[in-house]
Amino acid sequence: MVESPIGSKRVSESTLAIRVRNVSKSFPGVQALRKVSFVLETGEVHGLVGANGAGKSTFIRMLSGASTPDTGDIEVQGRPISFEDPRAQRNNGIAAIYQELTIIPEMSAVSNVFLGEVPSRWFVVDRSGMEKRFRELAQWMGLKIEPQTIARTLSVANQQMLEIMRAVHAEHDVIIMDEPTAPLGPFERSRLYELIGRLKENNVSIIFISHDLDEVLRLCDRVSVMRDGQLIETRPSASWSKDTLVKAMLGDVQIVPGRKRERTEVKELLRVRNLSLPGKVAGISFELGEGEVLGIAGLVGAGRTEVLRCVAGLEPLSEGSMAIGGQDVPWPPSVGAAIARGIALAPEDRKREGLVLSRSAISNLLLADIGSVARGPFVSPSARRATATMLARQIGFNPDRLDTDALHLSGGNQQKLVIGKWLHRRPRVLLLDEPTRGIDLGAKQEIFQTIRSLSDQGMGVILVSSDLEEVVEHADRVLVMARGKQIATLDGHEASVERILNLIFAVENRPAMAS
Amino acid sequence: MTTINTARPVTRPVGAWRDQLPTLIRVYGIILTLVLLVAVVGIGNPAFLSGQNIFNMLSQWAPAGIMAVGMTFVILTGGFDLSVASGYSLCAVVAAYVGQSYPPSIAFAAAIAVGLLFGLANGLLVAVVRINPFITTVGSGFVINGVALVMTKNAAFLVDDPDFGTLGAGRWHGIPYSGMLLIVFLLVFGFILARTVYGEAIYSVGGNYEASRLSGIRVRTVVASTYVLLGGCIGLAGSIIASQLSSAQANLDPGIIFDVLTIVVVGGTSLSGGVGAMWRTVVGLGIIATISNGFVLLDVSPYYQSIIKGAIIVAALALDGGLTRLVRAK
Repeated sequence: MVESPIGSKRVSESTLAIRVRNVSKSFPGVQALRKVSFVLETGEVHGLVGANGAGKSTFIRMLSGASTPDTGDIEVQGRPISFEDPRAQRNNGIAAIYQELTIIPEMSAVSNVFLGEVPSRWFVVDRSGMEKRFRELAQWMGLKIEPQTIARTLSVANQQMLEIMRAVHAEHDVIIMDEPTAPLGPFERSRLYELIGRLKENNVSIIFISHDLDEVLRLCDRVSVMRDGQLIETRPSASWSKDTLVKAMLGDVQIVPGRKRERTEVKELLRVRNLSLPGKVAGISFELGEGEVLGIAGLVGAGRTEVLRCVAGLEPLSEGSMAIGGQDVPWPPSVGAAIARGIALAPEDRKREGLVLSRSAISNLLLADIGSVARGPFVSPSARRATATMLARQIGFNPDRLDTDALHLSGGNQQKLVIGKWLHRRPRVLLLDEPTRGIDLGAKQEIFQTIRSLSDQGMGVILVSSDLEEVVEHADRVLVMARGKQIATLDGHEASVERILNLIFAVENRPAMAS
Repeated sequence: MTTINTARPVTRPVGAWRDQLPTLIRVYGIILTLVLLVAVVGIGNPAFLSGQNIFNMLSQWAPAGIMAVGMTFVILTGGFDLSVASGYSLCAVVAAYVGQSYPPSIAFAAAIAVGLLFGLANGLLVAVVRINPFITTVGSGFVINGVALVMTKNAAFLVDDPDFGTLGAGRWHGIPYSGMLLIVFLLVFGFILARTVYGEAIYSVGGNYEASRLSGIRVRTVVASTYVLLGGCIGLAGSIIASQLSSAQANLDPGIIFDVLTIVVVGGTSLSGGVGAMWRTVVGLGIIATISNGFVLLDVSPYYQSIIKGAIIVAALALDGGLTRLVRAK
């Protein structure tokens, strides 16, 4: 065990790291938080769960000092919190790791860690001191990152680690992590769990937000549930179960049960043979039948996304042979060609690749098919609205919110738009890349509902998800990938999370893990 | 099938004017600025609001206004064009050169053709070769300016044909033809932006290039087309100024690029693309024209003019962000 670089000052007089009393906050038109009271004990890992829009983000922004409550007060280690500026917040001893990382991509790892408080001697940056401290922290955290590595070249997981390192370096007493595991693969997750355990041993208190309830129950000492801007309940993890958590989070949402169809003879929609993309994936072959859901399982980086991108015509360097409805067609060289064949992709990165955030939900729903609501070159406003309303109903999007800019919608609603924008074109094959990433349970169910009804109408769906349970639950067949290769294709009844993981790990052969 | 009741944050009835105020100010605050300016200048010198004066302003601002129409399209796709001033001079030079020996209609058509041509070149460089629009148009601006210098050897081309002046200086019942053209351009291209498939594509591409591409929009065509459109606008604007002056020379008005950019940006169209509208360009044009004309009518010393003009422009933009935040903070 490496000696802790965070000193021994962590013997606090108070056992309460944070105490929040009756905090309320409203924004124009929305009561975001209502009389929230909350206690974070020293050295505790405290889970915070709730649907999108439940108020979690507002709440943690307030704890980190980024937003001021309308009423109520917040004490940190017995002292009232300061809401002045980022510099003063640092003195509150609370660090927040948001989903959108604050890493500066073009700067080195070490510069990112010392951002805003570069150590210096006589106004000259103390480089060797910084690197020494960096190595010390990296060793303690179990990271193998060279100080001068440019942050952009690091994986998301390691960039996140740099942010945590920033908090560890500053000897913060409280670290808030907002869905830290969402972009991580299994190995990276377990590395994070380990680190959280180590921080806890050093009396750092952690607020852990996640949509993965199993993870929350396993990792946290206590769990609080938020709903509609209120803190519904806080209990020790042992007295929660996944079911009681879901019930508390959502009130009364019903879960779409998985479907296992026996493999009957279905009409073939799409056949792909020997798909390859140099350096990324090779030798992928599969077919997709009418009304079938094909899942692709694998770790992050196994090449799942690349397969979808190749089929959707986004990778000009890809090769392979394709048949649509039994007819051989040339490999799609462009997005337009893939769309013309009825292949549509809902990409993983909703904000960057899926939506035009500055435009309304209506505009986004018609992004791929605006021509259908136009007479000649002229858009008909009434046809536009009618079509968008129809699409909104189909995907479970509230039609009253059609005029809202996509920017102001929750992740779940954004995802609905990314799928919805294709539906009017009636694609034969819909490719979904991580459609449920970072969205709440209620919205997830609505997405699966949509997938279900689309496949019932005969559409073929390819589903990529890091959530293996989801893949096993909702796919008729599962293609398992590891290191860019196809290692198995399982029928629905033979697919299980355990089986898939065994297959993957047999190939991945436990890649070198940071100890 | 099950119905799902997703939890939503409780929403207060929206209608309380205080809730709406930040949005209203953000969207329409710039109109308030224009109204205030018009009121100040109009009260200071009632001649400002006379038909005669307004017609003169229309005629005077027609070239910059028409180019601002094209620039609005370019900026909405997230682009930029710094070659405007050079193109403007070149088109005026072409119009005057051809006008010396051919009828005016041919002269103006030639100028517009030249504008479309360098617009196409800019468009291809930006959209297909994918060079940063800033650099592309600085470079092409030098080239275009050089061509104008080579053609004229830095002398002015004078046109004797009295018909040549009709486009820029002619009037119908006191209303200048150039001003009518300006208004027609604002209306037609405003409609195209707001109500056509092409307009919708402009906003989508400017708002998110990658998402638009992945949605099957022909993004390169859309981007390139806006530079061609701007080129055409520059051709017409160059024709109008050559016609008004009955002459043209290289380096006609190097500062006009700033007028054009200011008109678009002061109106509230975002330089990052995807956000804005043609009515904003109308308001921006109104503000810039009122300020410039106001200086003359209120007899402001020329030494103070650029200080005041700059301050008003910055203040108008500050209103956009600053006031919104102020109101929101309560």
